Parts: sequence; structure tokens; C-alpha cells
Amino acid sequence: MLFLHAAEQGLIYGLMALGVYLSFRVLAFPDLSVDGTFPLGAAVAGMLVLRGFSPYLALLGALGAGLVAGAFTGVLATRLRIPGLLAGVLTMIMLYSLNLRIMGRPNLSLLGRPSALLGLARALAAPRGYEILVAAGLFAAFVFVLLLLFLHTELGGTLRAVGQNPEMVRALGTNPENLVVLGVALSNGFVALSGALASQYSGFADVGMGIGTIVAGLASVMVGEILLRPRGIFSHLVAVLLGSVVYRLAISLALRYGAALGFTASDLRLLTALVVLGALAAPALRTALRGGEA
Amino acid sequence: MRRVLAVSALLVFGLLGAARPILIGITQIVDHPALNAVRDGVIEALRRAGYVEGQNVQYLLTNAQGDFSVAIAIAQEFRARGVDLVVSITTPSSQAVVQVFKDTHVPVIFSAVTDPVGAGITGYPNVTGASDMIDVRADVELLLKLVPGLKRLGQVYNPGEANSAILTEMTKKVCAELGIELIVAAANGTAEVPLAAQSLVGRVDAIYCTTDNTVAAALDAVVAVSKAHKIPFLFADPTSLERGVLICTGFDYFDHGLLTGEIVLKVLGGTPPSAIPFVRQAGTQVWLNLDVAQEMGFVFPEEAKKLATGLLFGGQRFVKE
Repeated sequence: MLFLHAAEQGLIYGLMALGVYLSFRVLAFPDLSVDGTFPLGAAVAGMLVLRGFSPYLALLGALGAGLVAGAFTGVLATRLRIPGLLAGVLTMIMLYSLNLRIMGRPNLSLLGRPSALLGLARALAAPRGYEILVAAGLFAAFVFVLLLLFLHTELGGTLRAVGQNPEMVRALGTNPENLVVLGVALSNGFVALSGALASQYSGFADVGMGIGTIVAGLASVMVGEILLRPRGIFSHLVAVLLGSVVYRLAISLALRYGAALGFTASDLRLLTALVVLGALAAPALRTALRGGEA
Repeated sequence: MRRVLAVSALLVFGLLGAARPILIGITQIVDHPALNAVRDGVIEALRRAGYVEGQNVQYLLTNAQGDFSVAIAIAQEFRARGVDLVVSITTPSSQAVVQVFKDTHVPVIFSAVTDPVGAGITGYPNVTGASDMIDVRADVELLLKLVPGLKRLGQVYNPGEANSAILTEMTKKVCAELGIELIVAAANGTAEVPLAAQSLVGRVDAIYCTTDNTVAAALDAVVAVSKAHKIPFLFADPTSLERGVLICTGFDYFDHGLLTGEIVLKVLGGTPPSAIPFVRQAGTQVWLNLDVAQEMGFVFPEEAKKLATGLLFGGQRFVKE
């Protein structure tokens, strides 16, 4: 159960982490708008479901809203020459008010409402108990494959070059700024999609649910990198999803064993970080131990 | 029927101190004095009824520490651990718990949820609880009595807080009915409270804040504005009187916890949650701060003092007979 739920959440939040990977790692663009686009996706999808639209259409709506918000950050950073960090911050705080406006209130209940996760799970006739995991896995696989194929196209290849050497891209006759806008838009599209799925998974959308998104996203990206030491794009994307699952597993483990170890409820974040640290230190410790034996 | 038997059996075993103590999961969204008071109130109510921690009851105390994704992880952990009952404090934590437990027979008792219907957590046979909805109309009418000639009322609130936003909507409605102009100042975080409070200076005859967590955390900023500009301030939290609020109303969140605990006891006693409608916290207190009134040169109408539960004078509380 522990691993099952951590895996479910790791995949759902993994979509967000894939988005963060695209902006931070591929584009080398430190985009903080994700703290706003995650709840944006939840807000848009939630309102669409409450208005009676199909939950799948609601996900598309969330994706679209995230694309637009991300493109906005990209335009601020490139056309208006606002530093990337500030551009993201501006979008993020604007989205806070905008999300409140979209929902009309701070919290939307989605309990008992149609959910794409549940709908897909039922349609698939997956093994009992694993329905949500399979559905979440399919959504993650969808974005994973989409991103993988895209990064292997000529356009995607140029996009990858933007993060490493924008001057070279310019020399090749492509405007790197357009690619930044495209990349940040895609990134936030994935993040918003993740937010929409997370709200359907949790049974509510709340304007405060974006807090800490970037922290979880960055942690997932880097934990995955350290654990897998990926080389190619494929293994990089796998590492991101793995990192996301490990991050969620750390929370679950902290919740499960924290009290028994004498930690109180208020120590949860400390404990979560310690579990992550443990996972990261494990390879080094193993090497050190082997070195000791030899 | 099987559920009633199961719960009764649990109770009997619990009282006998037999093999397994009752396992109760308590979850809340953040560490906050009012929310911690609710949690303590629940535990105290059960203690008074003979449930001693470690003997016949065991608590899983959890806190999402402000991370909404953790709220759902906590609910799943409760289910995995096979808790016998859940107490969920705040709207998002309750929604997460209901999402995970809605297809089970495990009783869920919510607490500190202002609008349970709007939160979508009502209508499930295993869910009931206590709402912390305050009496907004009574507060505004009290201000009308205490501040003669009140025409413009100011309110600082966080539009991002589910509970607070509902209360501000209600304040708007009540003010419209009573012919008062409501001027709201939004603060999206504690750091924005000072600016929001200052924006009301010169534009309002009194300030009224509901059970807003952001305002509660940055209360000193509102108090400072109230004192410096001699604007009467009513805050819907009776425990904040000593912090320099002129008028405090509402209820103590520890009492809200006790009320929640009584519902828990009913359920442990064998009453199914479906037979217990959710209750609203009753018993609004009215506290007047004479020290601050003196400091501000504000005089409470004699007649109004009769409405008070008690007074703060010389740094001490006096409960009126």
C-alpha cells in the first residue's frame, strides 16, 4: 500500500516534474511560474467538471491554460527582457489572483465528481487495487512519450541546444527566444495537467495547493539524476519520474515510521528531507563501505 | 448493523483495556494555534470520558505542514494503518480524508470546517462533524451598538482561505441588509496584512475580522492600526483579547475541539455517523477590552457592556455574572 500510493502520486506529480525538467534542465530557464500553473490546471479542470464537461476535456482545458500561462512567462523573459526568475515570479503571483477568479472561491470540492483518473481506471479493467496506478501510469507514459518524441525532432533538438549554447542556435538561423517561449509553455502545460490530475486524485482544488510545487519538482529532478546518473534523454526522463516516486515515497515513509522513531507530526518535513538524503547518500555510503572492505 | 456491532465491540474492548486500543487518526493542514487547540480539545474530551492514550486509545497525530499533496498521503496512511476513526481538522484535510474513506465504513468526524456543504463533505453515511461557522450577523449588529454612527466597516481577509472567503461573503450580505458600506482589504499572506490594514485608515469607522488564519497570524499589525488611528476593532476570536483587540467575539477553538470530541464519543458509543447531523459551534462570547478602550479614548456605551461575557481591565479578565 505504501509503495502503491507513493507510486500513484509519484506518477501524477511526475508530470509536473517532467515540466520542471524541461524548463530548468533542458532550457536552463529557472521558471517559478509552476507554483501558479499547478493550481491553475486544478482550477480550470475543476470548473469545467463542475460545469458538466467531460473530465478528459477538463484535462485538455488545463493543459491549454498551462500552455498559455507558460508562454506568457516566456514572452516576459524574452520580449520584455525581464530576468527569467522575475518573469516566473510575476506570472506565479498573477496566477494566484487569477486562480481565485477562475474558481470564484478558494476551494472547489470535486468529491464524487467525474474524474479522468477513475474513469480511465474503470475502462481499463486493471487488476483490483491497481486501477489508479495503471491510469496514472498511462497519463505519465503519454506525456513521457510525447516529450521524448518531441525532444528527438529537429525542433526539439534545437530546443535542447538553447539551454546549452543559445549563440550557436542563433548562428544556425533560429531565434532562440521563440524556442524559450515554446519550451516554457510546454513545461507549464505539463505542470497544469499534473495539477488537474492531482485535484481529481485528491477530491478538491484549492488555491493554496501550488505552494511548494517548484521545491518538489526540483527535488524530483535532482534525486532522479543522482540515483540513475542518466546519460541520454530517455534515461533522463525515466530519472525524473523515478525521482518523483522516491520523493513521494519519502513522505509516505516519514508518515509511516516517524512516530515510532520518536518524531512528532511537526517534524514531517524534516523527516521527509532526511529520507531523501538517505536515498542520496546510499550509493556513496556503499562505495565507502566497499572501499573499506578492499 | 455489522458496523454498529464492530464499533460497540471496539468500545467494550477499549473500556476493558483489552488487546487492541482504538486507533484514531487526527489530521490537520498546518500548525496553527487555533487548529492545535481543536486537536487538544478532541483529545481532552475523550480523556474526560475515560479514553487514556496508550491504554485504550491510540492517536496518530499528523500535520500536512501546509503541503496539500501531503494531506492526501496522510489520509491514505490512515487507511493503510486501519484506523478505527478519523478526525479531520480544516476543509482541505477533511476533503482529502473523505476522498480516501468515502467508500468505507470508517467514521470520519470533521472539525473546523466553516461550510461543510460547500466543501462537499456532507451526504456520506460515515461522515459527520462540527462546523466552526461564526455568527457574522451578531458581530455586525454588536458593532452597530458599540460604535454609534457606524456607516463604513473595514475587513482585512485572505481571499485564498476557504473558510475566510465564505465569512467575508456573509459579511457583505449582512452589511448590505443593515445599510453599512463594507470595505474589504485583501491580504494574500501574513506579510501583506500590515499594508491591507493601513489601507483602511481614514476610510472606515470600525474594522471587523472573522476567523481568518492569515489575520490571526499577523494580528498585531491590525491591532497597531486600530490603536494608532483610534479605529474600533472587532476580532472573532476570544483568545486574542490580551493581544490588544478592542472587542473579541466568537468561541474558543479548544471548546470546538471538545464539541468535536463529543461527536467522536457518540460514534464510539455506537451511534452511526449517519444518525448524527453535523453541528454548528454555539455559545458566542463577547469580550470588551477596557484597557485598550482607555488607551484609544474609546467609551463603550453603558448599555452595550450588559451584552458582554466579560471585560479585560488592568490586564485581567473579569467574567460578568
